Amino acid sequence: MNAWIAIGALAVMGVGIPLGMMAVSALLRPGVPEQGKSATYESGEIPTGSATGIQFNIQYYMVALLFVVFDVETVLIFPWAVIYQPALASGVGLATVLLPMLIFIGVLVVGLVWAWRQGAVKWVSSPRAARQKTERS
Amino acid sequence: MTGAAPLQQGMLPDTIAKLLGLGAFGVAGDVVAALLGAFLVANFLLINTAFAGPWAKRKITAAFTDRIAVNRIGPFGLFVIVADAVRLLSKELVIPEGVDRPAWDLGPILIPFSALLGFAVIPMGSGLQLADPETGLAFAFAASSIASLGLIMMGYASNNKYSLLGGLRAVASNLAYEIPLVVTGISVVLFTGTLQMSAIVEAQQATFVSVAGVAIPQWFAFVNPFAFVLFVLANVAEVGRNPFDIPEAPTEIVAGYQTEYSSVYFVLIYLGEFIHIFLGGAIAATLFLGGPAGPGPAALGIVWFTAKIWAFFLLTQWLRSAVPRLRVDQFIEIGWKGMLVLSFANLVLTAVIVGVLA
Repeated sequence: MNAWIAIGALAVMGVGIPLGMMAVSALLRPGVPEQGKSATYESGEIPTGSATGIQFNIQYYMVALLFVVFDVETVLIFPWAVIYQPALASGVGLATVLLPMLIFIGVLVVGLVWAWRQGAVKWVSSPRAARQKTERS
Repeated sequence: MTGAAPLQQGMLPDTIAKLLGLGAFGVAGDVVAALLGAFLVANFLLINTAFAGPWAKRKITAAFTDRIAVNRIGPFGLFVIVADAVRLLSKELVIPEGVDRPAWDLGPILIPFSALLGFAVIPMGSGLQLADPETGLAFAFAASSIASLGLIMMGYASNNKYSLLGGLRAVASNLAYEIPLVVTGISVVLFTGTLQMSAIVEAQQATFVSVAGVAIPQWFAFVNPFAFVLFVLANVAEVGRNPFDIPEAPTEIVAGYQTEYSSVYFVLIYLGEFIHIFLGGAIAATLFLGGPAGPGPAALGIVWFTAKIWAFFLLTQWLRSAVPRLRVDQFIEIGWKGMLVLSFANLVLTAVIVGVLA
């Protein structure tokens, strides 16, 4: 049997179970919409402004950029890891299989060191947050 | 990979097709058998989650803090599972103002979907494995990563500042610890030379050393304990448990991305998170702990497998009770400066050792 039929079947279950639970809940639960109940939760304060328009730390963006580089790298390491042992077993020299990957990882490590020294992975608090910080004596 | 063909036999859908005589119906019979198998596997996980979520989690936390926890309904308070399921499903669904509707509803479906999908390739022992594609390990990692998408959808669509911050933190944590996780997983592939889950389990059957007549199997946790520790740590971060539970951080951002979810959506998110913990434990067990291997006949495989994923669950609950939460800056720095560098060092060292020994 094709493996992907079984995986697809589990995907169907993975969608079907949540939908089934939602259907059961829709039959059971009450619905009493009120003003106030539907306000978003901000620790009891009345919400002000849009939530999606808030400013947040640029660091989230920096690490996401860095992630793209390393994720592409892992995609390239996967096939190398699979052929590594069989290639050695079939008599290919260690330097032939290992050195190119060492150079590849080396280049990426240089990139990581660069990003590290640039402060891409250092969490910087915004000047405003630093100014408004209350010091505990 | 010469052993691939016989390994394809004995998958759960094949067994079901043989038992019910569905082989005569061609592809339609295959689909029915696959659906039945998937139903069994999904229910196995739902039962585990039902025990873990409303009952075991409370009991374990109570034991750590010297309390008793649920003990009124049924033996050991076990029927609280039923009571909680009914209670949570019959809660009113409060839809907050200004939520981004399709995305807000899709997020809670995606979380359990991604965690369940990962279990398609996990060998659970006793013939309980849905599928065994050659790309098994990559598939398991890929399926469990879909959850990030659900988290950011929930965070953004909730129209809540806490949710947005929680969603961003969740994605930042998944990004930072995904790479150490995958790279450490790859270091196991260097030993096995295949991504096929059943072959990875088989590669761990051989005897590693014999201590006083007791044969210790070649589990990769024994062969490379350093990689095992790294993998488990990255796994704990990936499923967002303490000390890496910064995406939820109740003292800072209420409940993070799930602040605005009630009723069945709350159940779905929790269901997804618990299945995700079990998936993390299952991948760790398959890669490092011999999968369903253990003393006794092979038919006991499912028992050992369940014990291993529950051990990982117990570890997350232990950490939850014993370890303080990291700050967000520490969290990012440990991920990018510590775990990433260590995981690459582990990969290179493993490659060199495997190369020299071979």
